[in-house]
Amino acid sequence: MTNHTFSLAWRLFRHETKRGELTIILLAIILSVASVLSLSLFSERLKSALTEKSAEFIAADRVLDSNSPVDLAWIEKAKDMGLNTAHQTYARSMVFANEQMDLVDLRAAGIGYPLKGTVKVADEPFSPGVAINRLPESGEAWIESQLFQTLAIKVGDNIEVGDKIFKVSKVLTEVPDAGFSVFGGDPKILISKVDLAATKVEGPGSRINYSYFFTGDSGDLDNYYDWLEPQLDREIHDWDSIEDDESGIGRAVGRAGQYFLLASLLAIVLAAVSIAVAAQRYSMRHYDPVAIMKTLGAPKKMVQQIYLLQILFITALGITIGVILGFIIQQFVVAAIANKVDVSIDVWHWRPLIISIFTGTVCAVLFSLYPLMKLFSVSPLRVLRRDLGANLSSRLIQFVASGGAIFLLMWAYSQNLKVSAILFVSGIILVVSLLAVTYGLIWVGRKLGQGKMGAWQLAWARIHRRAMDNSVQLISFAVTIMLLLIVLVMRNDMVQQWQNQLPQGTPNYFLVNISQAQQPNLEQHFASNQVVIDKFYPVVRGRFVAVNDEKVRTAVSKEDPDEQNNGRDGLGREANLTWNTTLQQGSEVVAGQWFGAKNNSDTAAQRPYEVSIEKGISERMQLSLGDKLTFNIGSEIIDLKVTSIRDVNWQSMQPNFFFVIEPRALQNFIPTYISSFNLPTERKADITVLMQPFANVTLIDVDARINQLRNIVDQVSLAVEFILILVLAAGALVLIAQVQASMDERQQELAILRTLGAKGRLIRASVVFEFLIIGVVAGAMAAAANEFSLYMLQTQIFQMPASWHLEYWVIAPIAGAVVVGTLGALGCWRLLSLNTSHLLRQMV
Amino acid sequence: MTPTTMIKTNGISKTVTTTQGQLQILKPISFEVKAGESVAIVGASGSGKSTLLSLLAGLDEVSDGEIFIDGQAMHNMDEEQRAQLRGAKVGFIFQSFMLVQSLTALENIMLPAEIAGHDDAKKRALDILKQVGLDHRASHYPNQLSGGEQQRVAIARAFISQPKILFADEPTGNLDAANSDKIEKLLFELNQNSNTTLVLVTHDPVLAGKCQRQLHMQAGELTEVFANTTTEQAAQKVG
Repeated sequence: MTNHTFSLAWRLFRHETKRGELTIILLAIILSVASVLSLSLFSERLKSALTEKSAEFIAADRVLDSNSPVDLAWIEKAKDMGLNTAHQTYARSMVFANEQMDLVDLRAAGIGYPLKGTVKVADEPFSPGVAINRLPESGEAWIESQLFQTLAIKVGDNIEVGDKIFKVSKVLTEVPDAGFSVFGGDPKILISKVDLAATKVEGPGSRINYSYFFTGDSGDLDNYYDWLEPQLDREIHDWDSIEDDESGIGRAVGRAGQYFLLASLLAIVLAAVSIAVAAQRYSMRHYDPVAIMKTLGAPKKMVQQIYLLQILFITALGITIGVILGFIIQQFVVAAIANKVDVSIDVWHWRPLIISIFTGTVCAVLFSLYPLMKLFSVSPLRVLRRDLGANLSSRLIQFVASGGAIFLLMWAYSQNLKVSAILFVSGIILVVSLLAVTYGLIWVGRKLGQGKMGAWQLAWARIHRRAMDNSVQLISFAVTIMLLLIVLVMRNDMVQQWQNQLPQGTPNYFLVNISQAQQPNLEQHFASNQVVIDKFYPVVRGRFVAVNDEKVRTAVSKEDPDEQNNGRDGLGREANLTWNTTLQQGSEVVAGQWFGAKNNSDTAAQRPYEVSIEKGISERMQLSLGDKLTFNIGSEIIDLKVTSIRDVNWQSMQPNFFFVIEPRALQNFIPTYISSFNLPTERKADITVLMQPFANVTLIDVDARINQLRNIVDQVSLAVEFILILVLAAGALVLIAQVQASMDERQQELAILRTLGAKGRLIRASVVFEFLIIGVVAGAMAAAANEFSLYMLQTQIFQMPASWHLEYWVIAPIAGAVVVGTLGALGCWRLLSLNTSHLLRQMV
Repeated sequence: MTPTTMIKTNGISKTVTTTQGQLQILKPISFEVKAGESVAIVGASGSGKSTLLSLLAGLDEVSDGEIFIDGQAMHNMDEEQRAQLRGAKVGFIFQSFMLVQSLTALENIMLPAEIAGHDDAKKRALDILKQVGLDHRASHYPNQLSGGEQQRVAIARAFISQPKILFADEPTGNLDAANSDKIEKLLFELNQNSNTTLVLVTHDPVLAGKCQRQLHMQAGELTEVFANTTTEQAAQKVG
């Protein structure tokens, strides 16, 4: 490259920047870099802050669960790699006191536990807990409130766990890794790890789980896992992070993360669309200079170098300004929500900076590729024949380059092939259908317009000539509207689902072991204290014995050790069996038929008893419709036939059951009842009054956990709102860029109309109508494509029920018309404010 | 000493493909232009004047026939070689001036010299800008100049690389009478001073009359060639 080429390119760049010639393409690059940087920086900071907070729910950043103690060298290695570690052993065991006993969830905590979150204790049962920064000492046990009831003990008494006697010194009110199941879990006892051996609960046939906790830098954690993974045995070991957590928190954070990712990906696509539009405009505005240079003898290579250098200069400038702007925007957002979100978001992440620069560069280069190739193909003959455009007409290169660029960016950014593929395929479907519509119209028009040359045929010839431009413009509008719709609808659906999960008045206390005789008294007593008791569910405890006459132990061994579920521990031992004729709210029959209320006539007595089972359990135990299940209830054996499989919403804070049995099967058994109620946190002190008359009823307090869950959901919702606003702003800017670009093409027409004396109002109205039509069509196409993308996203990525959004079929075209029409009117107003001679001069 | 032949065409024609089939827009034409000669191509709109100019200037390819520019067989050259030839021997002036809007007057004039790789582009441009009387407008952009001024800049740009041939397409077509006179005067003055061969396309009979010879085009055919300078007005039919 000669010095002349460089200096010419630099001079052109300098002048064009100064004269505002490059504003649109520069804005597009700035916008892409700024939006990607601010969005991903913000979402990365927020996500890591939320993950940090949610990590408290597994008491660490990562947890290695194992059925047997792991090689100590693994833990040493983790320490060597700079990680903090802690250890806890879980066992199900019996506890005895005062000749009472209960099955408990025994936790023996080692030094360092919990690595995240806090253990809370109280001095009296059912009192609010306070954080404590030590663990039980040897001989000491902290137990949950309900155990004080069932064992009839008080603080200071002794209890027996296995072969060892412990002194109960505190009431355990909260452990970070409690999990969210209300009925799967037994009351917890926390002891010191050093006492575990003395209890002798570890032994053949005992169900023990060893958890190893790790915290540290995410890079170090990943490196450690890379080292550890080859040594793990899937049958025994399970490596978890909060994202793998199946609880409400895990899902909320997981979905929010997916949403942030989606929003950032869409921002990249928006940016790409705006750069594509701007690059096209840039190229067309340079046809003349290229033709002139070629006429004056410039070799092709020189022209190419001059314009590649220009793009390089523009990209560098755009990236620099974009990074600064993106950082400022992000700081504003952070400052705006700092007092609302209870997490530290003051951490710098390098990845967003790198990804935004990468995005800016790839977008600018790949999206300019085709417009530049077109530019290079401009014939020097254009100096004599001004109507000559570029010689290159194959759009294939454009589609391959732009499509490839978008897909690569999405993939590189998300490292998630599925999300990228879904968005990409939706985009392609939209583009192809729009092209098909446009070309369909042209084809029809040509057929209609055959015959001798007349006005009709001329009109269609004109449409044909502009078909490609029109459809490209339509596609860019439709894609933008679709992306905005996706972000908006996903946010609405997601936040709605979270709120549905925890409506006001969600039960925060559960009552277990209510006798039939106590039911009316309990209801009355609670009512007199202004507390409403929910529905009573009858429960009998049954031991699961056999499946199709095959002993259940065999069936249990088939279960997938990787599968984490709230109720797994209850299987093979005792399960809560309930009966009901109506399907519980939030449950859905996915196979077979719900038994409902069947009559108990003599013929009915010949039928086998029916049972409805939960979907997860049917998969784990490989149960299917028609299977015979055998339970041992009290001293009786009862056979049940599986006639339906239910999908149960475990996220809902209400009693859920794996097995719901036809009422007549259990009519001879005496059940106990479970129920729930909501008591505002500020009335916590009333618990004693409420429970005093019912000493045998066990109270389970999930208030703290519900508050934690609600807190996280509120924060995640707020964060999602901000992301939505950012993407909407980015989308609005893209639309403005598109309208500006298309205004350019209309400039000549406007100048001519003005010169011929057309009134401003007439011109403005015609332009507004044109944009209104484009807006309506683009909005309608976007609504269709949106439906498809949302279906794919919701079912494949977000694991939430798919929903139709018929309202957007109306909203999108109207919004499209209003927004695009208004922007068109504004753009037109700007042009009309220039005087005609200025317009004409600009055309020269 | 007889002047050398600067342009020689031998049966050049141009055929384009349309939806109706092949259409010959320029029928075979043969003529010669001597070095230093000024020739006007005249004819009605659509007669093929501009097509002929585009072929002579190497902006377009001939469909058939031969063109020699300063002895070089342009009809055998590809686009790159033709660009090189244009850069070395040809200057242009257009009806719509064709200045690069984002470069100043001075920079527009420098452009051909820079493309050719001359290190003294700026000095040359300043000199010639002075000759066209626009040295006070050096840093102005084209849209800050009047039509006449823009065309003077275009003329300066055309002469900066001291071309052997100058092609002008309706050089006064966009100008008023007063400006047209100035531009014509300047054009012929520079042409004579630098002994450039001038080929111009025009509607204007007065401008055409100032050239030594006129080539008349009609419906894609060169119908007659006549010289303005001799009293005999010897019209010569072209076979």
